[in-house]
Amino acid sequence: MKTLLKDIFSFEDRPRFERIGFLIFIIIILIFPFIVKSAYGRAVMIKFLLFALFGVGWNLIGGYGGQVDLGQGKNVGFGAYTTGLMMLWWGIPFWVTVPIGMIIAAAESFGVAYPMFRLKGHYFAIATLCVALVWKELFVFWDWTGGARGIEIPVKPHPNFYYMQFGSPIYYHYFIFFLFITQVLFMNWFRKSKLGYELQAVRDNEEVASSLGINVYRTKVISYTITGGLGAVGGSFMTSYYLYIDPDFVMPLDLSILIAMTVMVGGGGSLWGPIIGAAFLIPLDMYLGAWLGAKKRLGIDFMIYALIMMFIAAREPRGIWGIIERIRKRK
Amino acid sequence: MLLEVRNLVKEFGGVIANADISMEVEEGMIMGLIGPNGAGKTTLFNCIAGYYRPTEGKIFFNGKEITGWPSYKVARIGIARTFQGMKTLPNLTVEENVMIGAFCCTNSREVARKDAHEIMELLDLRDKAYAFPKELPIAIQKRIEMARALATKPRLLMLDEIAAGLNPSETKEILQLLKMIKEEKGLTLLLTEHVMEFIMTISDRVTVMAAGRKIAEGLPNEVASNPKVIEAYLGERYAKC
Repeated sequence: MKTLLKDIFSFEDRPRFERIGFLIFIIIILIFPFIVKSAYGRAVMIKFLLFALFGVGWNLIGGYGGQVDLGQGKNVGFGAYTTGLMMLWWGIPFWVTVPIGMIIAAAESFGVAYPMFRLKGHYFAIATLCVALVWKELFVFWDWTGGARGIEIPVKPHPNFYYMQFGSPIYYHYFIFFLFITQVLFMNWFRKSKLGYELQAVRDNEEVASSLGINVYRTKVISYTITGGLGAVGGSFMTSYYLYIDPDFVMPLDLSILIAMTVMVGGGGSLWGPIIGAAFLIPLDMYLGAWLGAKKRLGIDFMIYALIMMFIAAREPRGIWGIIERIRKRK
Repeated sequence: MLLEVRNLVKEFGGVIANADISMEVEEGMIMGLIGPNGAGKTTLFNCIAGYYRPTEGKIFFNGKEITGWPSYKVARIGIARTFQGMKTLPNLTVEENVMIGAFCCTNSREVARKDAHEIMELLDLRDKAYAFPKELPIAIQKRIEMARALATKPRLLMLDEIAAGLNPSETKEILQLLKMIKEEKGLTLLLTEHVMEFIMTISDRVTVMAAGRKIAEGLPNEVASNPKVIEAYLGERYAKC
């Protein structure tokens, strides 16, 4: 029990500058709502934390596992719809719906992982993409999920900690920060766990991994299942934050790819990579898009986006974190 | 009998890589497996270690049939192997490389770390614990691979061309290391090599393969003077004189 708690909360094995950096980062997030008063700035911050949350979860299979999964959107959708529908139909409190959403997403991931991990590399990536697309179409097609019109969550008197509905974004800011931190701590534990080590061995070389007694297939399936569960948490948050969800909003292809992109740009397989990636891409997306949109230069932001992405992919496949580590080593 | 291979055949779409190989390895011995390039040594290794499923024949380990078992199960029952050429895990430190081996027999990270450090101590890798394998010389990378395999606590250790790419003094070093480990851990070793000198000095028994067949078995000096072996290595002309 003691070692478990230590594994969760201790960053002792990381270099000092990382620990200090993370501490400064947390302090900035904590005091952020008191410094920035603009509604847009706060919305950008919440979106950043949401995508950092997605990235940290996806990093498990995508970074530590090295499996390019382009279907995390479906798990976000499962979380969002579980929370949304359960609130709408039965008025079940938010905190009850979160674990249920996670279980549903994990169960579905387990089911599809079974045949999917017969594939490798690009073929696996395409399969994940297809599964996510199928689910999205199903949610558009089904009537009981509200179809393409989506569902609206009845508004409760604010602030409401049962249904996690608040009038002010400050609440949401700390709410998403809490969810984000829990996943960072989970990943901090995971990377030191037996499964974490085994998954990294599988990523580096499957042949070697199996020669060391690791069941490669099982390791991948379990990791994919956990990743599915982690993805659902952010979906539940989206429901309570936006109070309106539809398949095009919570489970589109763009979302799946953006999640994968934040991790790849930031640096997969490291604790901080996804956070850095989200800190880079989300503000860029929201400010550049808004600024160029206002000047009637639609589309240019995507081009800048793509250029940066190509630059990083060409220069350092391990992303921004890889660049930082390389600079540090040179010193 | 620790390892027994009985009439093993492995075909790859018509190409016969191993034809009717039988071999017995007793507990505690060092068995050398030699043969010219393309003799089928690595194929035999891969069949035993569960990377290939034999077309025909049976493999027994410690009296238990393990024919066609997946490689991770073979590893867990006590057969560890190294690979031809370097196959370290590049994004993990030396310590983590060895720890992953140690996780084979424990779920606890502390125990795995302790075991890993014990083995790194034995192989003189302790001061390299936090380096990445790719940054180190080949001779040390070979030791890392051995350490990783040893961490799974095997009874039989199979080394595939462990001396390839090493200079004579490094080869000598690894030879001594192997003998020392064998005594320390009470291991049984199965080695392949096409460097005759290396294998002749260390092995208790030698099996010779050529073109997918087993052509001789016996004590090292017996085998070395066997005309069939000389023929396989040097051609017919030399065997006659």
